[in-house]
This record gives sequence, structure tokens and C-alpha cells, in this order.
Amino acid sequence: MTAVIKADNLAKTYGDVQAVKGVSLSVEKGALFGLLGPNGSGKTTMIRMLTGQTRPTSGSASVLGIDVTQDPVGIRARVGIIPEQETPPSFLTAMEYLKFVAAVRQIPEIGKKADWWFDFLDFADKKDVLCKDLSRGTRQKLMFTQAFIHEPELALIDEPLINFDPIMQDLVKDYLAKYVKNGRTIFISTHILEVAEEICSEFAILHKGTLLHTGPVADLKARGEHLPAFFLSLVGKGRHV
Amino acid sequence: MFELFIAMVKEEWRVHSTMFGSLSFALFPFLIFGIAFMGSFLIPVVKRTLPVGNLSIIIHAMYLMLGLMVGGFGMLGNEVMNRRFGQASFLAYSARSLPISERTIFANFVVKDTVYYFFLWVFPFAFGYILAAPFLGIPLSSTLFLLLTLTLSFLFGLCGIFFLSTVFSWSKPVFWAFLLLLGVGFGGIMASGLNPAILFPPLMLHEEFSWWNLGLSCIVLAYLFVVSLWLFNPESVGSEKKHPDLFTPVLGRLSFLPNPPLAAKDAVDLHRSGSLIGQTIFSFVVPLGVIWFFLSLMAQFFPPHALLFLYAVTTGVIASTMYTWVTMFDAFGPYACLPVAVSTLIESKLTTFTILQIIPAVFIAAVSILAGEAAYLVPAVVLGLSVSFYAVGIMAWLCGLSPNVLVYDVKVLFEYLLLVGVVITVFSALSFINPWYALGSVILAVPAWLFIRQAKIRWDAVDPQGF
Repeated sequence: MTAVIKADNLAKTYGDVQAVKGVSLSVEKGALFGLLGPNGSGKTTMIRMLTGQTRPTSGSASVLGIDVTQDPVGIRARVGIIPEQETPPSFLTAMEYLKFVAAVRQIPEIGKKADWWFDFLDFADKKDVLCKDLSRGTRQKLMFTQAFIHEPELALIDEPLINFDPIMQDLVKDYLAKYVKNGRTIFISTHILEVAEEICSEFAILHKGTLLHTGPVADLKARGEHLPAFFLSLVGKGRHV
Repeated sequence: MFELFIAMVKEEWRVHSTMFGSLSFALFPFLIFGIAFMGSFLIPVVKRTLPVGNLSIIIHAMYLMLGLMVGGFGMLGNEVMNRRFGQASFLAYSARSLPISERTIFANFVVKDTVYYFFLWVFPFAFGYILAAPFLGIPLSSTLFLLLTLTLSFLFGLCGIFFLSTVFSWSKPVFWAFLLLLGVGFGGIMASGLNPAILFPPLMLHEEFSWWNLGLSCIVLAYLFVVSLWLFNPESVGSEKKHPDLFTPVLGRLSFLPNPPLAAKDAVDLHRSGSLIGQTIFSFVVPLGVIWFFLSLMAQFFPPHALLFLYAVTTGVIASTMYTWVTMFDAFGPYACLPVAVSTLIESKLTTFTILQIIPAVFIAAVSILAGEAAYLVPAVVLGLSVSFYAVGIMAWLCGLSPNVLVYDVKVLFEYLLLVGVVITVFSALSFINPWYALGSVILAVPAWLFIRQAKIRWDAVDPQGF
């Protein structure tokens, strides 16, 4: 198996706060890898480091064989990213934003692909509306579309389901599960444990910047354990009223 | 509502201070104070060449300008919330979650801006003068009275621009009709041999205190504020109006530029936000109109032709702030998911900035002709544009993609003033000696290029600021 993501003792400090403390992990090609953790556990910082949006304080990492500090733009050219809470630029319409993304990524023609996504995620009626006027859910659909429209070999997606209704969540979960079957890889950060258990092949648990566990979901299931209970046993000790 | 006001002030403070540390930001008013305190000792020197009346006009004009600049930043009618705050979850959006109307929130927002920037800019400046007054033999009462009239000047600028921008977004024909009426009235007064500045209420009050003059200033201010609030229309925020594809044709037209998609996006942003017209009027033409008027009052104190070149230099400095027009719409965040480096984004913003320099070039050319100095049109335009590119190089180097925010960092502002101040002093002096020496300012292209090159290296090496 080929590792598409390798992190070695990766750490990030913001002022006095150690957001990520020496995390080492490896993600194989074709995996649907779930990075799990409570709010503030360092998940977003991990994705930001792996996509070159922020520099590690120490340690090293490579994505698709590219060092994250050496060529972050090269990484972003080859992967798809859904950043947490980022929204598309205000004064472009949804369709114009996809055309903008296509032009930046040098995708020659996206008309049919864009139409497919508008239909698939059920927001064709919003394609000519300015991004600033879209609802949170529709913006999330647009950000999801821009991450996958160029069919990247690896997608790093941060809480992609958070603003979706249950029907849309189901649709997207199905899409992600099928996406990795073609040898492509997804690195998903989420705190919705049921989703992770349902679609992820491997997972890691991050808590207060420290990696507590990493391994295949199948191993858990083989032991007759469920991911939510396992997660709470590691992270949620003593937090019940 | 007082709680909302306090919360908004805290929010504004934290937005600024988190960018470069509380201490650095807290020092900003002290820097302004220091400049005013030390500058006050130059008053006796200036008085020898400039009549006291003109000095008072200039100081009031400066405060009017300050109000115009503060008010112009972000106050463009219906887009104000989106432009100022983007998609961030600021209190300006709390109408969605709290039982407060958008109009009330907007009123709080304006009052907050007034108070906040008063203590950030106006008071420290006046306080510097007040403390210097005893050393200069100026009575305390007259300095406090000056603080009052200067504050009114500042508020006139703030409420005036607020009024104009809301009228502009409410009805463009009414806006243009109002401007025409203002221009005709202004011209009429000048044609009758009167100086329109003496009809400026705060200046009238300063020249002669009376309760009538004070009341007049307050009534005009209240009128501007209330009418603006009445015209403010929050309904369009969040509308789902459909727009035809503008990006594709613009992308085609700009394909000859480096990074065409980024330039096309900037062009669409400027067009759709109303900024191209709005900013040109409120942040460029109006301030420069005011400057031209006040500079023209001092024509007799400068060598022949000097006024044109002084104006070209001033236009150049103000034109360099067009970089803030194209960087105010988006931080690096929305680009973080794309293969775009910070340096590429700076480059594309500077490309758009370069296209926008047509505006100051035409403006300086028009002023040269109107002032009867057409013979010096070329050196004046060259000087203005050279200063603009030099200043924007420094701005990009010091601030990267956040000039609107980092201007309040004391260190950044000091470095900017120093680097720009020295150069404009040298080239103003050279053009005073001989107008054709202004052509020598093309040499500024070299440091401008070096600063831009260093800016790209510098800002690629730090984590992009999301804000």
C-alpha cells in the first residue's frame, strides 16, 4: 500500500497554546480516513498543516509525496479541500465561483460538471445568486462542489456535513463511500461519530492536540465495539453529569 | 442598547488588537498624540508665513477630511454590513438572533464608529495640542474650544459621507442631483467673491462663538444622521436576486494579464459592490476636492506651479490607498482551498491596482488643464503615479493583504509615514525648484519594485491571516 499522507511528530503552537502535540500518522491510498475529536482537539489545525495553510512548529509531513512546507501550493493543486467555516467570495454567483475555481485550477470546461453538481446537491435554483446571499447550507454545498469538481486523488474535508440536512447528509455519505472505491482517498475531520463509523475505513482520535488512537474501524467492529462508545471511553471520561 | 454599543466597541478593539497585539494597537493614539504635541511647537513658525485664519481653516479641513476618510471606509449604503464584516459572525449580524432591528444595530454601529475613532484619532491629536498650549502661551479655554469645533468638523465629515453614501444607494438620480446642486451653490458663492469655507458651521462657530452657531452645527449634524438612518435600507441584505454571468466575459477580456481569474474576480467584486463608483467618489474625488479647495487658499504662499505638484503628490498618496479597495473584500481564507500563494494574490491585487491608476492619471491631467497648467501635465501625472506606486510598494511590504487593519499598528504606520514622507518631501521640493525635475520621480519605480518583490517573499513566509 502507498501512503498518501504521512505525518511525523507534527506539532503546532499558537502563542502559548499547543494546538497539536507531536502527531504521527499515515493514511494509505484508497482509505476513507476519519480524524475524530471533540471541539478544539486540533483537527482543523491538522488539516490546515497538511494543506499548507499553516506551517508546523515542528515535525514534518508530506501529502502525495510533497513536503507540506516546501510546496504547499503544489499540494493544493492536486487535492480537494473543504476548509472549516470558510465561505466562497461574496460578490460572485455560485456558478461564477465554480468557473473561478475552474480557471484557477486550469480545468478547461466545467459547464456540464457544474450542472451535474447543482442537480446532485439540489441547488440549481441558486446558481445565479451571489454567494453572500446564500444560506449556510447552500454555501456548504458550493464548498463541497469546489472540492470535488476536479475529481482529486485526495480530498481533505473539514466537517463537511455540519450544515447539511439529514437527506443531504445521506446523499453525501453515499458519495464519499463510492468516491474512495476508485482508488482515491478521503481525509475527513468530523465529530459526528455515527457518520465516521458508517463510512470510514480507518480513524484516528485526537484529544487536546494529542493522538490517542489510530486504527481500522473493522478492528473495532471485530471486537464487537462501537466507535461512539470507544471514543467516549477515551475522551469523555468523567464528563457525564 | 448601551450594552450593544459597549459590546461593539469591545469587538472593534479586539478585531484590531488581535491582528498585532493589544499593546501595539494601544500605542496608536499615543503616536498621534506625540505627533500633535511636537507639531504644535511649529505653529509659531507657520504663523510667520500663514495668516491665523488660514491656519484655522487648514486644521478644520484636516478634521473634516479625517471624518470623511473614517466614514468612507465601509459606509457604502446597503453593502456596508457585508463589506465591513464579510461573513464573520459579528454583532452587526445579531439582528438574526436577537430581538433587535437591523436599523437599531446600524445606528449603534455608526455611533460606535464615531466614538471609537474619536478616541483613536481625534482626541489624542487635540490633546497633544492642549498639552502644548501652555508652552506656546495659548489659553486653555481656547484650546478646549478648538477641541469642540474640531470634533464638530470630524463629525461633519463622518455624517456627511454617511449621508452621501446612503443617498447614493437609495437613489442614484437624487444623489447626482444633490451633488449638482451642491456644486452650483458652491460655485455661486465663489463667483460672488465669498470664501465658501466661512459658511462651514464648525468654522463659523470657531470664528465667533454664539449659541446660534453651536445650535446650527448640531442641527445640521442631527439632520444628516437622522436622514441617513431613515434612508438606510437593510432589506437588500440577504436578498436572492439572480445575476447574469459577468465573470466569464471579464475573464476573457483580462486574459492578457497575469493571473486572469484573480483579476477578473477583483473586477467583478468592484463592480457588483458599487465600489468602483462609490470608492472613487467617497475615498478619492471628495477628499481630493476638499484638499484642492484648501490648498488653493494657500496658493500665494507657494512658488508658481508648486500647487499643482503638491496636489499631484497628494493625489499619488491617496491613489495608493486604492490597494485597500481591492484587498478589503476578502482575506486569504477563501483562497486557502485553492492552489494560490499569498504572493500570487498580492501580485493580482497589484495588477488590479495598476488598472485603477487610470483614475488618478486622468484626475491629475484634468486638474492640470483646469488649473491652466497644461504645460506641466506630463510631469505632474508622472509624479503622482510614481508616488502612488512607490507608496503601494511600501504598503504591500508592510501590510501584505491586510492594509485596512495593519494601518493601526504603530510600528507599521510609523514606518509607512517615514518611508513615504521622506520621498514626497524630496520630490515636492525638487518639483518646486523646477517643474520638469518631477519627471525624475520615475526612479521611484526601482524601490517600488524592490518593495513589492520583498513583500511577496515576506508574506509567503508567514501564515496567512484569516480575519
